[in-house]
Amino acid sequence: MPRMPKRVKFRKEMRRVRERKATKGNFVAYGEYGLQALEGCWLTARQIEAGRIAAQHFLKRQGKVYIRVFPDKPVSKKPLEQRMGKGKADVDYWAARVKPGTMLFEIAGVPEDIAKRTLVRIAMKMPVRCRFVGRRLHV
Amino acid sequence: MQSKHTLSVMRRDRTGTRYARRERQAGRLPAVLYGHGKDPVALTLDAKEAVRLFESGERVFTVQVKDEGASQTVMLKDVQFDYLGTNVVHVDLSRVDLDEIVECHPELHFVGEPIGLKAAGAILTHPSLDVTLKCTVANMPERLDVDISQLDEDDVLHASQIALPEGTELVSDPDAVVAAIRAKKMEEDLDAEAQDVDGVGAEPEVITERKTEEESEG
Repeated sequence: MPRMPKRVKFRKEMRRVRERKATKGNFVAYGEYGLQALEGCWLTARQIEAGRIAAQHFLKRQGKVYIRVFPDKPVSKKPLEQRMGKGKADVDYWAARVKPGTMLFEIAGVPEDIAKRTLVRIAMKMPVRCRFVGRRLHV
Repeated sequence: MQSKHTLSVMRRDRTGTRYARRERQAGRLPAVLYGHGKDPVALTLDAKEAVRLFESGERVFTVQVKDEGASQTVMLKDVQFDYLGTNVVHVDLSRVDLDEIVECHPELHFVGEPIGLKAAGAILTHPSLDVTLKCTVANMPERLDVDISQLDEDDVLHASQIALPEGTELVSDPDAVVAAIRAKKMEEDLDAEAQDVDGVGAEPEVITERKTEEESEG
Protein backbone atom coordinates (compact mmCIF):
# COMPACT_ATOMS: atom_id res chain seq x y z
CA MET A 1 0.00 0.00 0.00
CA PRO A 2 1.38 3.46 -0.83
CA ARG A 3 2.33 5.44 2.23
CA MET A 4 0.72 8.68 3.44
CA PRO A 5 0.58 10.60 6.71
CA LYS A 6 -1.88 9.50 9.39
CA ARG A 7 -2.87 13.05 10.23
CA VAL A 8 -2.11 16.43 8.71
CA LYS A 9 -2.64 20.02 9.75
CA PHE A 10 -4.01 21.11 6.39
CA ARG A 11 -5.62 19.06 3.64
CA LYS A 12 -3.85 20.83 0.74
CA GLU A 13 -0.53 22.58 0.39
CA MET A 14 1.22 25.07 -1.90
CA ARG A 15 3.83 23.83 -4.36
CA ARG A 16 6.85 25.63 -2.83
CA VAL A 17 10.43 25.95 -4.10
CA ARG A 18 12.08 22.86 -5.55
CA GLU A 19 15.54 24.05 -6.60
CA ARG A 20 17.68 23.44 -3.53
CA LYS A 21 20.37 20.96 -2.58
CA ALA A 22 20.08 18.53 0.33
CA THR A 23 21.71 19.67 3.56
CA LYS A 24 20.37 16.86 5.72
CA GLY A 25 19.44 13.27 5.07
CA ASN A 26 22.27 13.17 2.52
CA PHE A 27 24.44 10.38 3.95
CA VAL A 28 24.12 6.72 4.89
CA ALA A 29 22.92 6.80 8.49
CA TYR A 30 21.19 3.50 9.27
CA GLY A 31 22.40 0.87 6.84
CA GLU A 32 25.73 0.10 5.22
CA TYR A 33 24.96 1.14 1.64
CA GLY A 34 22.51 3.61 0.19
CA LEU A 35 20.84 4.92 -2.94
CA GLN A 36 21.31 8.66 -3.32
CA ALA A 37 19.31 10.92 -5.63
CA LEU A 38 21.43 13.15 -7.87
CA GLU A 39 18.49 15.23 -9.05
CA GLY A 40 15.49 16.76 -7.36
CA CYS A 41 11.92 15.56 -7.80
CA TRP A 42 8.64 14.89 -6.08
CA LEU A 43 8.87 11.17 -5.43
CA THR A 44 5.35 9.78 -5.36
CA ALA A 45 4.18 7.27 -2.78
CA ARG A 46 3.67 4.75 -5.59
CA GLN A 47 7.26 5.10 -6.78
CA ILE A 48 8.54 4.58 -3.22
CA GLU A 49 6.33 1.52 -2.87
CA ALA A 50 7.53 0.18 -6.25
CA GLY A 51 11.12 0.51 -5.02
CA ARG A 52 10.33 -1.24 -1.77
CA ILE A 53 8.62 -4.14 -3.56
CA ALA A 54 11.49 -4.47 -6.06
CA ALA A 55 13.94 -4.72 -3.15
CA GLN A 56 11.78 -7.15 -1.20
CA HIS A 57 11.36 -9.48 -4.20
CA PHE A 58 15.08 -9.52 -4.91
CA LEU A 59 16.28 -9.87 -1.33
CA LYS A 60 13.66 -12.47 -0.26
CA ARG A 61 14.24 -12.46 3.49
CA GLN A 62 17.85 -11.28 3.55
CA GLY A 63 19.02 -7.99 5.04
CA LYS A 64 17.00 -4.93 5.92
CA VAL A 65 15.89 -2.07 3.68
CA TYR A 66 15.43 1.38 5.19
CA ILE A 67 13.23 3.88 3.35
CA ARG A 68 14.66 7.33 4.07
CA VAL A 69 11.94 9.44 2.44
CA PHE A 70 8.29 9.79 3.37
CA PRO A 71 5.54 11.17 1.11
CA ASP A 72 4.10 13.92 3.28
CA LYS A 73 3.30 16.44 0.55
CA PRO A 74 -0.24 16.37 -0.88
CA VAL A 75 -0.31 17.13 -4.61
CA SER A 76 -3.65 18.17 -6.09
CA LYS A 77 -4.72 17.77 -9.71
CA LYS A 78 -7.75 18.98 -11.62
CA PRO A 79 -9.77 16.36 -13.51
CA LEU A 80 -9.35 16.09 -17.31
CA GLU A 81 -11.34 18.55 -19.43
CA GLN A 82 -12.08 20.67 -16.37
CA ARG A 83 -12.16 24.44 -16.93
CA MET A 84 -9.72 26.52 -14.90
CA GLY A 85 -10.86 28.16 -11.68
CA LYS A 86 -13.47 26.98 -9.15
CA GLY A 87 -10.87 26.60 -6.41
CA LYS A 88 -8.01 24.21 -5.69
CA ALA A 89 -8.53 20.65 -6.89
CA ASP A 90 -8.66 17.51 -4.77
CA VAL A 91 -5.51 15.73 -3.64
CA ASP A 92 -4.37 13.34 -6.36
CA TYR A 93 -1.32 11.76 -4.76
CA TRP A 94 1.21 12.13 -1.96
CA ALA A 95 4.85 12.87 -2.67
CA ALA A 96 8.18 13.17 -0.89
CA ARG A 97 10.31 16.22 -1.65
CA VAL A 98 13.62 14.94 -2.97
CA LYS A 99 16.55 17.30 -3.39
CA PRO A 100 19.84 16.49 -5.11
CA GLY A 101 21.80 14.47 -2.55
CA THR A 102 18.83 13.03 -0.65
CA MET A 103 19.33 9.45 0.48
CA LEU A 104 16.32 7.49 -0.79
CA PHE A 105 16.93 3.94 0.41
CA GLU A 106 19.48 2.23 2.62
CA ILE A 107 20.32 -1.41 3.00
CA ALA A 108 21.98 -3.39 5.80
CA GLY A 109 22.91 -6.97 6.52
CA VAL A 110 23.90 -8.06 3.00
CA PRO A 111 27.24 -8.16 1.14
CA GLU A 112 28.18 -5.24 -1.10
CA ASP A 113 27.45 -7.00 -4.41
CA ILE A 114 23.93 -7.99 -3.35
CA ALA A 115 23.31 -4.50 -1.93
CA LYS A 116 24.42 -3.00 -5.23
CA ARG A 117 22.21 -5.28 -7.32
CA THR A 118 19.24 -4.53 -5.06
CA LEU A 119 19.73 -0.77 -5.17
CA VAL A 120 20.14 -0.86 -8.97
CA ARG A 121 16.72 -2.51 -9.17
CA ILE A 122 15.26 0.17 -6.92
CA ALA A 123 16.97 2.88 -9.00
CA MET A 124 15.15 1.62 -12.09
CA LYS A 125 11.86 2.49 -10.39
CA MET A 126 13.00 6.00 -9.49
CA PRO A 127 12.23 9.02 -11.69
CA VAL A 128 15.68 10.58 -11.12
CA ARG A 129 19.33 9.68 -11.63
CA CYS A 130 20.69 7.91 -8.56
CA ARG A 131 24.02 6.57 -7.36
CA PHE A 132 25.18 3.79 -5.06
CA VAL A 133 27.06 5.01 -1.98
CA GLY A 134 28.63 3.52 1.13
CA ARG A 135 29.30 4.99 4.54
CA ARG A 136 31.19 8.27 4.53
CA LEU A 137 34.26 9.36 6.50
CA HIS A 138 33.52 9.24 10.22
CA VAL A 139 35.07 11.72 12.67
CA MET B 1 48.37 7.03 18.96
CA GLN B 2 51.28 9.30 18.15
CA SER B 3 51.23 12.35 15.90
CA LYS B 4 53.50 10.62 13.43
CA HIS B 5 52.01 12.20 10.31
CA THR B 6 52.84 15.71 9.28
CA LEU B 7 50.25 17.70 7.37
CA SER B 8 51.60 20.20 4.92
CA VAL B 9 49.70 23.42 5.61
CA MET B 10 49.69 26.91 4.16
CA ARG B 11 48.22 30.04 5.67
CA ARG B 12 45.08 31.37 4.00
CA ASP B 13 45.17 35.16 3.83
CA ARG B 14 41.86 35.65 2.07
CA THR B 15 38.83 33.89 3.46
CA GLY B 16 35.27 33.53 2.21
CA THR B 17 33.25 31.36 -0.15
CA ARG B 18 34.84 32.50 -3.40
CA TYR B 19 38.44 32.19 -2.18
CA ALA B 20 37.72 28.84 -0.55
CA ARG B 21 36.22 27.61 -3.81
CA ARG B 22 39.33 28.68 -5.71
CA GLU B 23 41.52 26.82 -3.21
CA ARG B 24 39.46 23.65 -3.74
CA GLN B 25 39.78 23.97 -7.50
CA ALA B 26 43.55 24.20 -7.04
CA GLY B 27 43.57 20.90 -5.09
CA ARG B 28 43.80 22.50 -1.64
CA LEU B 29 41.41 21.87 1.26
CA PRO B 30 40.35 24.88 3.38
CA ALA B 31 40.81 24.38 7.11
CA VAL B 32 40.81 26.30 10.37
CA LEU B 33 43.12 25.82 13.34
CA TYR B 34 41.99 26.91 16.81
CA GLY B 35 42.33 26.13 20.51
CA HIS B 36 44.59 26.71 23.53
CA GLY B 37 43.43 30.34 23.83
CA LYS B 38 45.24 31.45 20.69
CA ASP B 39 43.69 33.19 17.72
CA PRO B 40 42.19 30.96 15.04
CA VAL B 41 44.24 30.62 11.87
CA ALA B 42 42.77 29.97 8.42
CA LEU B 43 44.79 27.31 6.59
CA THR B 44 44.75 25.13 3.53
CA LEU B 45 45.87 21.51 3.32
CA ASP B 46 46.81 19.32 0.42
CA ALA B 47 43.36 17.84 -0.27
CA LYS B 48 44.45 14.43 -1.58
CA GLU B 49 47.00 13.80 1.16
CA ALA B 50 44.69 15.01 3.95
CA VAL B 51 41.64 12.97 2.89
CA ARG B 52 43.82 9.87 2.43
CA LEU B 53 45.11 10.23 5.99
CA PHE B 54 41.64 10.90 7.43
CA GLU B 55 40.23 7.85 5.67
CA SER B 56 43.02 5.67 7.00
CA GLY B 57 41.86 6.57 10.52
CA GLU B 58 44.52 9.15 11.47
CA ARG B 59 43.19 11.88 13.76
CA VAL B 60 46.30 13.48 15.30
CA PHE B 61 48.91 15.26 13.22
CA THR B 62 51.86 17.59 13.42
CA VAL B 63 51.65 20.89 11.56
CA GLN B 64 54.12 23.69 11.04
CA VAL B 65 52.32 26.99 10.57
CA LYS B 66 54.32 29.93 9.24
CA ASP B 67 54.79 32.71 11.88
CA GLU B 68 53.60 30.40 14.71
CA GLY B 69 56.96 29.14 15.89
CA ALA B 70 57.63 25.46 16.51
CA SER B 71 55.52 22.66 15.06
CA GLN B 72 52.25 21.97 16.85
CA THR B 73 50.22 18.86 17.54
CA VAL B 74 46.68 19.14 16.20
CA MET B 75 43.62 16.94 16.32
CA LEU B 76 40.96 16.57 13.64
CA LYS B 77 37.88 18.05 15.26
CA ASP B 78 35.25 18.28 12.55
CA VAL B 79 34.75 17.66 8.85
CA GLN B 80 32.26 19.37 6.54
CA PHE B 81 30.90 17.68 3.45
CA ASP B 82 29.27 18.95 0.27
CA TYR B 83 25.59 18.39 -0.52
CA LEU B 84 26.28 14.87 -1.77
CA GLY B 85 27.70 14.05 1.65
CA THR B 86 30.90 12.44 0.40
CA ASN B 87 33.36 15.15 -0.67
CA VAL B 88 35.19 16.91 2.15
CA VAL B 89 34.99 20.70 1.72
CA HIS B 90 36.41 21.98 5.02
CA VAL B 91 38.07 20.63 8.18
CA ASP B 92 38.47 21.93 11.72
CA LEU B 93 41.78 21.29 13.48
CA SER B 94 42.23 21.81 17.21
CA ARG B 95 45.54 22.51 18.98
CA VAL B 96 46.22 19.75 21.54
CA ASP B 97 49.00 18.34 23.71
CA LEU B 98 49.73 14.64 23.64
CA ASP B 99 48.98 14.33 27.39
CA GLU B 100 45.82 16.42 27.20
CA ILE B 101 42.52 14.69 27.99
CA VAL B 102 40.05 15.00 25.14
CA GLU B 103 36.76 13.47 24.06
CA CYS B 104 36.89 11.34 20.93
CA HIS B 105 34.38 9.32 18.92
CA PRO B 106 36.11 6.21 17.56
CA GLU B 107 34.16 4.23 15.00
CA LEU B 108 32.95 0.78 16.03
CA HIS B 109 34.37 -2.08 13.99
CA PHE B 110 32.45 -5.32 14.45
CA VAL B 111 34.56 -8.47 14.49
CA GLY B 112 33.31 -12.03 14.12
CA GLU B 113 30.24 -13.76 12.74
CA PRO B 114 27.40 -13.74 15.33
CA ILE B 115 25.86 -17.11 16.24
CA GLY B 116 22.37 -15.65 16.03
CA LEU B 117 22.78 -14.67 12.37
CA LYS B 118 22.54 -18.34 11.34
CA ALA B 119 18.81 -18.33 12.16
CA ALA B 120 16.53 -17.63 9.19
CA GLY B 121 15.50 -13.99 8.95
CA ALA B 122 17.88 -12.76 11.65
CA ILE B 123 19.72 -9.53 10.91
CA LEU B 124 22.41 -7.56 12.71
CA THR B 125 21.44 -3.99 13.51
CA HIS B 126 23.82 -1.39 14.92
CA PRO B 127 22.00 1.77 15.98
CA SER B 128 25.20 3.51 17.13
CA LEU B 129 28.12 3.96 14.79
CA ASP B 130 30.45 5.21 17.51
CA VAL B 131 30.87 5.76 21.24
CA THR B 132 32.27 8.79 23.06
CA LEU B 133 35.46 8.17 25.04
CA LYS B 134 37.57 10.34 27.29
CA CYS B 135 41.30 9.73 26.98
CA THR B 136 44.62 11.42 26.43
CA VAL B 137 45.52 12.33 22.89
CA ALA B 138 48.39 9.85 22.98
CA ASN B 139 45.98 7.01 23.89
CA MET B 140 43.29 7.92 21.40
CA PRO B 141 42.17 4.78 19.54
CA GLU B 142 41.68 4.97 15.76
CA ARG B 143 38.72 2.59 16.01
CA LEU B 144 37.21 0.15 18.49
CA ASP B 145 37.11 -3.54 17.64
CA VAL B 146 33.91 -5.04 19.05
CA ASP B 147 33.62 -8.82 19.23
CA ILE B 148 30.08 -9.85 18.31
CA SER B 149 30.72 -13.54 17.68
CA GLN B 150 28.85 -14.55 20.86
CA LEU B 151 25.68 -12.59 20.05
CA ASP B 152 22.71 -14.92 19.81
CA GLU B 153 19.22 -14.28 18.45
CA ASP B 154 17.48 -11.36 20.26
CA ASP B 155 20.74 -10.57 22.10
CA VAL B 156 21.73 -6.95 22.57
CA LEU B 157 25.22 -5.51 23.06
CA HIS B 158 25.38 -2.33 25.14
CA ALA B 159 28.11 0.32 25.11
CA SER B 160 29.19 -0.73 28.63
CA GLN B 161 29.99 -4.25 27.34
CA ILE B 162 32.64 -3.04 24.89
CA ALA B 163 36.21 -3.84 25.90
CA LEU B 164 37.89 -0.43 26.02
CA PRO B 165 41.62 0.12 25.51
CA GLU B 166 43.72 1.00 28.55
CA GLY B 167 43.59 4.65 29.61
CA THR B 168 40.18 5.34 28.09
CA GLU B 169 36.89 6.02 29.84
CA LEU B 170 33.37 5.69 28.42
CA VAL B 171 31.47 9.00 28.34
CA SER B 172 28.44 8.11 26.22
CA ASP B 173 25.40 6.37 27.74
CA PRO B 174 26.53 2.92 28.99
CA ASP B 175 23.07 1.49 28.21
CA ALA B 176 23.14 2.63 24.59
CA VAL B 177 22.62 -0.29 22.19
CA VAL B 178 25.56 -0.71 19.83
CA ALA B 179 24.59 -4.02 18.19
CA ALA B 180 21.59 -6.32 18.28
CA ILE B 181 20.40 -9.42 16.48
CA ARG B 182 16.77 -9.01 15.50
CA ALA B 183 14.44 -11.51 13.85
CA LYS B 184 12.96 -10.00 10.71
CA LYS B 185 9.16 -10.00 10.53
CA MET B 186 7.48 -12.34 8.07
CA GLU B 187 6.21 -10.76 4.85
CA GLU B 188 2.61 -11.67 5.70
CA ASP B 189 2.89 -9.77 9.01
CA LEU B 190 4.27 -6.73 7.21
CA ASP B 191 1.47 -6.79 4.64
CA ALA B 192 -1.15 -7.09 7.40
CA GLU B 193 0.45 -4.16 9.23
CA ALA B 194 0.46 -2.07 6.08
CA GLN B 195 -3.24 -2.75 5.54
CA ASP B 196 -3.98 -1.76 9.12
CA VAL B 197 -2.19 1.55 8.67
CA ASP B 198 -3.65 2.65 5.38
CA GLY B 199 -6.36 1.09 3.30
CA VAL B 200 -7.23 1.91 -0.30
CA GLY B 201 -8.50 5.46 -0.69
CA ALA B 202 -7.83 6.26 2.96
CA GLU B 203 -7.39 9.94 3.77
CA PRO B 204 -5.37 11.40 6.61
CA GLU B 205 -7.13 13.03 9.52
CA VAL B 206 -7.03 16.86 9.27
CA ILE B 207 -6.28 18.22 12.74
CA THR B 208 -7.32 21.85 12.15
CA GLU B 209 -10.58 20.87 10.44
CA ARG B 210 -11.75 18.85 13.44
CA LYS B 211 -10.92 21.75 15.76
CA THR B 212 -13.09 24.18 13.78
CA GLU B 213 -16.00 21.72 13.89
CA GLU B 214 -15.72 21.45 17.66
CA GLU B 215 -15.57 25.22 17.99
CA SER B 216 -18.65 25.68 15.83
CA GLU B 217 -20.55 23.16 17.99
CA GLY B 218 -19.49 24.91 21.19
